[in-house]
Amino acid sequence: MSDKRKAEEAGLSPWFEAGRAEAPAPSGDWLARMEAMALDEQPAAQASVVPVSPERTRRGARLRDLLSALGGWPAVAGLAAACAAGVWFGAVSPAGLSDWTAAGATAAASDSYTTFEPASGFDVAMLGL
Amino acid sequence: MPYDAMSDCSDEDLLAAYAAGEPAAARALTLRLGPKAFGVAVRMLKDRAEAEDVAQEALLRLWRAAPGWRAGEAKVSTWLYRVVSNLCIDRIRKARGGHVDLDAVAEPPDPAPSAEQELQETARGVALEAALDTLPERQRQAVILRHLEGLANPEIAEIMDIGVRAVESLTARGRKALEGLLGARRAELGYDDE
Repeated sequence: MSDKRKAEEAGLSPWFEAGRAEAPAPSGDWLARMEAMALDEQPAAQASVVPVSPERTRRGARLRDLLSALGGWPAVAGLAAACAAGVWFGAVSPAGLSDWTAAGATAAASDSYTTFEPASGFDVAMLGL
Repeated sequence: MPYDAMSDCSDEDLLAAYAAGEPAAARALTLRLGPKAFGVAVRMLKDRAEAEDVAQEALLRLWRAAPGWRAGEAKVSTWLYRVVSNLCIDRIRKARGGHVDLDAVAEPPDPAPSAEQELQETARGVALEAALDTLPERQRQAVILRHLEGLANPEIAEIMDIGVRAVESLTARGRKALEGLLGARRAELGYDDE
C-alpha cells in the first residue's frame, strides 16, 4: 500500500467508521416477509420423487426372500468372493498354486481322484439332483 | 438439520440444503443474507422502501437459482451483492436527475451534552452519505463495497465484473473525491477536536 493511499484511507477512516456504525438494518416485518417468500419458493423435499411400480415391488420382495434364504448379504458376499477366487485360480493359475498342485499330483496315486471323489455322476443322477 | 446447527454451515451448503427442501435452511439464509442485501441497497439508493424492493427481488432470484446452483462456481454472497448492485444501478439510472447537495444536508439539532457524541456520529454518517451520493455510480459502488461493506478487492472485482486494478482505481478516485468534499467539514463535525 503506497504512503499516499495510506494517508488517504487514514484521513477518511473516521468517516467510514461513522458510516459503518450507521449500518442500515431491515425491519422485522420485512425479514418475516422474506422468510415467508423463501419458504414459498422452496422446492419440495426430494424424498420418493420416483414412483415405484407394483411389479418392481414384487421383484424386490422375491430378491429379499432369496437373500434371506442364503443367509443375507454377508453370506452372499462370501459366496461371491469364493466364486471370484475360483475363476481367478482357473484363469490365471498363480505360480505358487501350480507348484502345490503339481506336487500333489505326483505324490498322489492315479486312483486318488476316484478315492477322493465324494459322489460319482451316477450317484447324482440316481438322487435326481 | 436443526436450525442451531446451521450457524457453522457455509452459505453454499445452506443453499444446497435449501434446494433439497430443508425449511431451516430457508430461515437461516434469509437471516444471514437479507440484511446484507438490504444494507448495500440502502447505501446505494438512500431509500428504505426502494431498498426493500431491490433486496426482495435479489433474494427471489437467489431462491429460484438455488436448484441449479453449481457448487464452487461462485460465492453466494458475491452473487447476491452483484444482483443487488446491478438492480440498484438500474434504478439509479432510471431516476437520474437529482444529486443531493452536500450543503443542503440538514444540520443536526443543538445537542444535549449527553447525546452530543451520538448525534455527531450520526451527522458524520449523514455527511458521508451525502458525499457518496455525489460520486459517479461506479465509484460510489466500489467505495461502498470496499469501505462500508468491508469486502476485499477481488470480490468487488467479481461483483462489478471488472479487474482488480480497475477496482483499486475506482476506490482511489472515490476516496480522493470524498476527501475533497468532507475535508472542509472536519472542523464543523468535530474531527479537529479529537
